[in-house]
Amino acid sequence: MHRERVPACVHPETYKYFLERDAVLATWERLAARYGAPRRDPSFRTMEVVAPRFRVRATLLGNPVTVLRQRACTPADIEELHALLGYRE
Amino acid sequence: MATGDDLEGRLAMQYEPATYRRRIAGHDVIIHCHHYNARLQRTLEGARGIDGKGLIASTAESVFADHLARAGRPEDDEATRLALAELLYARLGFGRIDLGRLAEGVVTASSSHFVEGWLAGLGQSERNVCTFTEGYLQAAVFAVLGAAVTVRETECMARGAACCSFVVERGERGSSPRIAPAPNRKQAGVPVPAERGGPFVRSANVDEQAIIDAVVGIPMVGDAAGLIPAFSVYLANMPADFYNQVCIGFVEAMRGLGREKAAMRLLVSDAEHCGMNTFRGIMHSPEWDGLIAPMVRDRADALIAIIAISNALGWGDWHITAHTPTSLALESRYGYEAVGFREYRGEASTPQCAMLTGVAAGVMELVYGEGTVEDRYGTFASHEESCVSCGAPACIFTVERVE
Ligand SMILES: [Zn+2]
Ligand SMILES: [Zn+2]
Repeated sequence: MHRERVPACVHPETYKYFLERDAVLATWERLAARYGAPRRDPSFRTMEVVAPRFRVRATLLGNPVTVLRQRACTPADIEELHALLGYRE
Repeated sequence: MATGDDLEGRLAMQYEPATYRRRIAGHDVIIHCHHYNARLQRTLEGARGIDGKGLIASTAESVFADHLARAGRPEDDEATRLALAELLYARLGFGRIDLGRLAEGVVTASSSHFVEGWLAGLGQSERNVCTFTEGYLQAAVFAVLGAAVTVRETECMARGAACCSFVVERGERGSSPRIAPAPNRKQAGVPVPAERGGPFVRSANVDEQAIIDAVVGIPMVGDAAGLIPAFSVYLANMPADFYNQVCIGFVEAMRGLGREKAAMRLLVSDAEHCGMNTFRGIMHSPEWDGLIAPMVRDRADALIAIIAISNALGWGDWHITAHTPTSLALESRYGYEAVGFREYRGEASTPQCAMLTGVAAGVMELVYGEGTVEDRYGTFASHEESCVSCGAPACIFTVERVE
């Protein structure tokens, strides 16, 4: 998997993570187990899980996932999320 | 004390499909993002020889004194008025203010659209950035206690503080005693146009109404932090009266220095950057990927989709009348700038719609340009040919690539 920086967002460190195709379902199950069930928006065909200091948002296909950090988001928050997504820098 | 449901009901949004206007407690609100709000603030506060900070604070005070009065009820007790002031601020997307220590003359804010906007859009700040909030709090204190006060931010998260802190100073501001915020005085504006205009350029691929319905269907209200992270940017519902009064006030103050044209150029430039940045953020967002990207086959489709979104945000009731990769023409029959100018100043002698003029160039630079935002900036020139504020039936914008 890889990630790409997304410009002009809520936080300068905003990335889209491109999951491996066969890992998408399991990744969202892990996200839901850790941060709560995804909220779905049927009109935009998007879903998201809301963690205390960031949000993980994607289309209903679940891939790629955009991580929108709040300003208070810590390196530890991101480290944990990366472990959960299976992303290594 | 009124219940939370009652207060939320008073602040429910009403949408008017004929003009795309959104109304909350008697005020038309326009949705802009942190890029535009931060840049506009920087322009006003950075202009030499005028008091841009004072203009922002006094306008916010005047507009929100009116807004809170309209949302209030004669039977509201003090606790209700206090809760209403906190709730309106949060629901509009400006952040969280805590009025619990108002009696001590202290207000704190744990989140702020303006701090987020400044840091994300413009980088670190040397000074406190919550000027708008100072004005809002002056209005809130007036709504709650009936006293005209001066509010000053003493610490700001934009400079690393844990929360923004404000002190409430009673008594006089400057030399003249103030009894109440300046009234938000307007005259009859422009009637809602009976005809839609056109003909407009459409695309068989892009379902503009589906886009508008989806955007209007999102509850654009602040989250637990009073912020609205949507389309990967922070949005806020700003009363049109605020934008119109600060922009008119800015241009008039600059006119006094012989710099009226420079003022309009600055306002257009902010909007041009906004057009590029806001929609660049939006075009990379999951919302775009989910609903809009499947409709977009070419760049013209992207442009039509962008204009549809901007209509749903309340910017202008504007539509494309002609379009090539190097040129664009748009018609707006009920833009908030033109309508607002008529309400505040009557008929204008020159076109007044700086925001739409700049955005028209910015979206062309985004869709057809290459490179960074700065590479693209200025590669299209936009001109407002005629304006509703001058008595014309529509504002007409033409954009051409700069050769
Ligand atoms: Zn602040
Ligand atoms: Zn106009």
